[in-house]
Amino acid sequence: MRRCLASLPVVLLGGCAGNQSPLAPASDQAFALHSLFVLMMVVCGGVYLLVIAGVVWSLLSARSRRGTNTVPASERGLGRGLYVAAAAIVIGLTVLIVGSFLADRALVAARSEAAMIVRVTGHQWWWRIEYRDPASGRWIETANELHLPVGRTARVELASADVIHSFWVPNVSGKIDMIPGRRNIVDLTPRRLGWFRGQCAEFCGTQHAHMAFDIKVDSQADFDAWLARQNAVVEAAVSNTSSRGAAVFQRVCGSCHSVRGTPAAGRAGPDLTHFADRRSIAAGTLPMSRGAIQGWLAQPQALKPGTSMPAVPLLPADADAVASYLETMR
Amino acid sequence: MGAPLLILTALAACSNEAREVGPSLPQTPPVGNMDPRIAAYRANLYQVSQGGRYFTWYGCSSCHGDGAPGAANLADGRWQHGGGFADVYRAIAAHRPEPSYAGTIPVEQLWQVTAYVRDLPTHYPEKRRRVSLDQKGEPQGSRWSGPQ
Repeated sequence: MRRCLASLPVVLLGGCAGNQSPLAPASDQAFALHSLFVLMMVVCGGVYLLVIAGVVWSLLSARSRRGTNTVPASERGLGRGLYVAAAAIVIGLTVLIVGSFLADRALVAARSEAAMIVRVTGHQWWWRIEYRDPASGRWIETANELHLPVGRTARVELASADVIHSFWVPNVSGKIDMIPGRRNIVDLTPRRLGWFRGQCAEFCGTQHAHMAFDIKVDSQADFDAWLARQNAVVEAAVSNTSSRGAAVFQRVCGSCHSVRGTPAAGRAGPDLTHFADRRSIAAGTLPMSRGAIQGWLAQPQALKPGTSMPAVPLLPADADAVASYLETMR
Repeated sequence: MGAPLLILTALAACSNEAREVGPSLPQTPPVGNMDPRIAAYRANLYQVSQGGRYFTWYGCSSCHGDGAPGAANLADGRWQHGGGFADVYRAIAAHRPEPSYAGTIPVEQLWQVTAYVRDLPTHYPEKRRRVSLDQKGEPQGSRWSGPQ
């Protein structure tokens, strides 16, 4: 039992690792925040140990005097101790202020560099993500998956279409609120390749917990290839089923969703061009799979109650065709 | 004495927004103005405001916005095809100048849009301003390019 209890902190600390943790920083900004965190741990931990040591010392000295009923002749020792404590507090706070100032400077330092601009808009409960096409200047839209090139600063412009959301990718960035009517800016310079997880960090309605997104840090070449692929229109449907699905999709889903290069041009829901390239569906609610797509089409309100995606009454054959169309959209 | 009473009164107001979330939503149009499902939509603040969002999203306000002339004005309380819930629903579903909405807008959203449209004549100017401010950042029609 005692061994079990002793290993509990280890298990809890294990939760700090991974792809959604500020303790495993993967960008310049996250490194700055992480070093500030370590500094605060050290300073506050040191002060805590000093306080505990003072308490233990006074208890022990009181016990050794028990029964003698004498008052110490001089309080000079105590007075000196208080001076030392006051000096330690001033020094500790000064170190924290300087550390916090330097971390803040590091967060804004990237702003003078030429940055790639990405627009992220929060919706209940998903993320609209737009890149500016370097060649044409047009916006390339995707949803719920943010790709960034390693070693290059991206300026992320944050807005909201409805209520206050908060953009938070613990490994890459601190929390920044997305406020209706405002455009907040955060600069990110990723330094480590890999997949990370972002999450809305401001309660925004019943499905706040299901408002997540994936973030992928790519090499510059991989990122350029990805962006070029996102910019391309989807290839024409290859099978009979998926071309039937395309027709149903354009009629039924096209009033909210758009697929570039087809008549489906709705703006209310996520852009579904290259949908099958993404890792998850419905803002991190379900993994990308044929079963999940079909379940989501059949009864989204059971999987994510309150979502704006309605249950669309489709014939089973039509639902199957739409799922197979969506599955081929790469 | 006063405070608990105030809290109770405030809590009672929440029933105006009560709704069920989950799979049990209307999947068929109302069968008539006396359809028992109508009660959950007609005066429910959540369903009405959600209908207002869809009204904006689908671009209805580009023709039926504030002060629209003649028959396009939905706030004047005069209904060409009848003012009952099922009548208004049918008029929206079979909307003539456009391709029929029955095929492109899901049934549940049509219920909510109907509830909103029937509520419009009761909107006084302050409420209309408030609603349009609330929905300022929402997607509007097919040309929308972002909240600002």
